[in-house]
Amino acid sequence: MFRDDSALSLRALTKRYGDGTLALDEFDLEIPSGAFFGLLGPNGAGKTTLISAVCNLLRVSSGEIRVFGEPHNSLTARSWIGLAEQDINLDRFLTVRETLTYHGGYFGMKDPGPRADELIAAFGLEHKSDTRAPRLSGGQRRRLLLARALMHRPRLVILDEPTAGVDFELRMDLWRYIRRLHAEGTTILLTTHYLDEAEELCDEIALIRDGHLIARDTAAGLRSHFGGERLEDVYVNAMRS
Amino acid sequence: MTGLVWLCRRETLRVSKLWTQTVLAPVISSILFILVFGLSLGGRIKQVSSVDYEVFIVPGLITMGMVQAAYANNASSIFQARFDRYIHDVLSAPLRPWQVALGFTVGGVFRALAIGGSLLVLSVVFVGVPVERPFALFAAVALGLVLFSALGVVVGIYAETWDHTTFIANIVILPLAFVGGVFYSVDVLPSPWQELSHFNPVFYLVNAVRFGFLGESDVSIWLSLGVVAALAVPVYAWSQWLFTSGRRLKD
Repeated sequence: MFRDDSALSLRALTKRYGDGTLALDEFDLEIPSGAFFGLLGPNGAGKTTLISAVCNLLRVSSGEIRVFGEPHNSLTARSWIGLAEQDINLDRFLTVRETLTYHGGYFGMKDPGPRADELIAAFGLEHKSDTRAPRLSGGQRRRLLLARALMHRPRLVILDEPTAGVDFELRMDLWRYIRRLHAEGTTILLTTHYLDEAEELCDEIALIRDGHLIARDTAAGLRSHFGGERLEDVYVNAMRS
Repeated sequence: MTGLVWLCRRETLRVSKLWTQTVLAPVISSILFILVFGLSLGGRIKQVSSVDYEVFIVPGLITMGMVQAAYANNASSIFQARFDRYIHDVLSAPLRPWQVALGFTVGGVFRALAIGGSLLVLSVVFVGVPVERPFALFAAVALGLVLFSALGVVVGIYAETWDHTTFIANIVILPLAFVGGVFYSVDVLPSPWQELSHFNPVFYLVNAVRFGFLGESDVSIWLSLGVVAALAVPVYAWSQWLFTSGRRLKD
């Protein structure tokens, strides 16, 4: 049974790629509405596969995904999800403002201009609003990627390693944006390799390895279960278990 | 429908932003064909099927310019979007597969019409080409553009390298256009080349467009339109099926 108050429900989600790799194996996960949920695991654990499945970017082998109770591939569910992918995947032909307005348009916004201007200001991109994505710095692209994910006011924001490779200052900026977003009631699913980031931001953390959920708890709960003072120790112990 | 409108706008914006490459260059290339071939050969080949040679070659050259542009535009737009993965922005959006297929097709149609319209105006000015059957011309252009725009979408989705997209353009479409009666009437060809020309789909498209312009062609307009439609419908259906199934787009 799916819970009505869940932002995201995965039931027996399985994904086997064409080359035989089993990325997710009968994976179950329930993320409550309004949660700030962290997904931790080594490279190849299945984090990005899970996110891609939720966002309709891959074909699942079996299982079911619901977003706020709706099948994930319904138009309604799609309109509720905002995704900032791990890799910078910005349209090279569009300026900053166009990137946001066109994204808003794809997601059904009738007049995306004012919202685009609001996000351009919020992410400090005013002086770059007419600049095309390839001409932006790495940090500016990362901000734009996050702004694009928020453009259509999604109820569930999925952030796949949003601070990978960014400097400390931008990382703190991005944390501030994400925290504010969560405080406004948005459900957030965050994957990260930075354990301090997960501990600092997330209410609850799931550990994933080889397409299986190993554990899920608060940072304190994981510490007590796996032993270790720091989340790094918990992570190492969990991955060895 | 808002999402579809914005996707169409994005595809046409790309053509407009790159207009020197996407429109100007093919217009110059085609008009040079018309002037150089028309003027150089027009002195030797006075008339083909009772039409001045420089006028006779215009419909075929416009067709060639349009179908190449429709194909190349969509193949490169989709391949680039896949290569840079910004196609994810569209694939994750609340758009129906038919809307995505149509949206990506529109760019090629827009670019081809910009080229075809420019060439039409220049051809009227330079060689005085008539438009005898506008409805037939409209039908032929519409079917031809659906066929080649959708083909561009399909190839853009299947292609694994840029070479794959240009291979189809240079090894398939261009040769078929050249031997499809752009520069000559197939009536003058000896057997078996005349018969073989009837297996070339571009031959029917060129003749349908020529009928629209000049009111005459090597084969019946209905046969020409029928052959082009018989190809356009399944190729467009193929492009939409790729978006519906996610094949080649989603792992």
